Amino acid sequence: MDSAPDFGGLIDLHSSELLAYLTRLLDERQAAEDCLQDVYLRAYRAYSRLPAEANRRAWLYRIATNVARTAWGRRGREAARAAPLDDEARDPAATVEDGLERSEQLVRLRAAVDALPHKQRAALILRRYQGLAYEAIGPILGCSPEAARANAYQALKRLRSLMAAAPAEDGGESW
Amino acid sequence: MVRQDRESALSVWMGDAEGAAPLNNLLRGLDRLLAAEADPAAAEAARRRVHQALDAEAPGPIYYDSLSTSPVGPLYVAVSDRGVLALDFTGSEAEFVGRLAPRLRASLRRSADKAGEALEQLQAYLAGRRTAFDLPLDLRMTREFQRQVLMAALKIPRGSVATYGQIASRIGRPRAARAVGQALGHNPLPIIIPCHRVLASDGSLGGYSGRDGVRTKARLLELEGVRYDWHW
Repeated sequence: MDSAPDFGGLIDLHSSELLAYLTRLLDERQAAEDCLQDVYLRAYRAYSRLPAEANRRAWLYRIATNVARTAWGRRGREAARAAPLDDEARDPAATVEDGLERSEQLVRLRAAVDALPHKQRAALILRRYQGLAYEAIGPILGCSPEAARANAYQALKRLRSLMAAAPAEDGGESW
Repeated sequence: MVRQDRESALSVWMGDAEGAAPLNNLLRGLDRLLAAEADPAAAEAARRRVHQALDAEAPGPIYYDSLSTSPVGPLYVAVSDRGVLALDFTGSEAEFVGRLAPRLRASLRRSADKAGEALEQLQAYLAGRRTAFDLPLDLRMTREFQRQVLMAALKIPRGSVATYGQIASRIGRPRAARAVGQALGHNPLPIIIPCHRVLASDGSLGGYSGRDGVRTKARLLELEGVRYDWHW
């Protein structure tokens, strides 16, 4: 009776890229998959209110960004409560480059990515790894395309300073 | 100049400029951390799980039918494959269907067969031939708090009454009597979930959103052997 019947198509079309996006944001496959379900459940519930002309892909990305931020906050609180278990809670074997042990430098870099403000992290990932235009990223992050672009570059700048603040002990190349 | 080179290299890396630019450690490291796409098998499994989760959430077909005459007037009931979903005796059939369909994101089909069991039990109950319902409930239109309230109301036996405050206490929210009243006011399954058995703490009838309001509430209580002199 409304446009709901084609909702299944949105799953088939976008779930793979959204899973990749959530995994990049959260650095944990299981958390990303849980979030993916949450994204589609929320989207499903709101779908009948979505204007017909809306960009469905950007809309899903927006929901995914918000769901990831919530999951991020929850993880932060849980980690604070269960600090000694932190290492177990985040299984390094279940991270993005599965099976590859991360070098110390990459672990530090991931920690720096995690330390970015959510908006900067999301802007960087959406542009570089999801390949979205700033005109799409702006509405996803609730800002202008110019601000989206600024956030992506601020992320890089901040990462550089975070990595420079604690230089490599092995005397390797600078960041 | 170095700074300019670095900025143009960043633009190329970011996809904002054409050309080739050497990667520094930061960009190389980010790509190692983040460039991997989801493993196709994992993505496929995740896609299937999303479909499954939505199948559980999404309504199958919804059927409805009506009793054109009953002691409380025309009465409409909707059922899903999970159970009875909605009951209404406040308005017309068009209003009932028009209100439910968008909330359920489904079209409703009239089926005397599918809704038959629920209507039969309701008819028997309203005629005094049945004292309790034996129907599976589909409470998808309720949220957690309301569900708790409705489940507590469901436990009030025929012939008894409770107050909004007692229900609030029973669900561990003793100060939420007013919210309990609201939750019961939006009971999707009146009569079947006996919100008419919940009264104000001063013993007055409180509210009722069925047709004819508290008069209907009193009539239902009377049917159950609770004598109540109402004032309006």
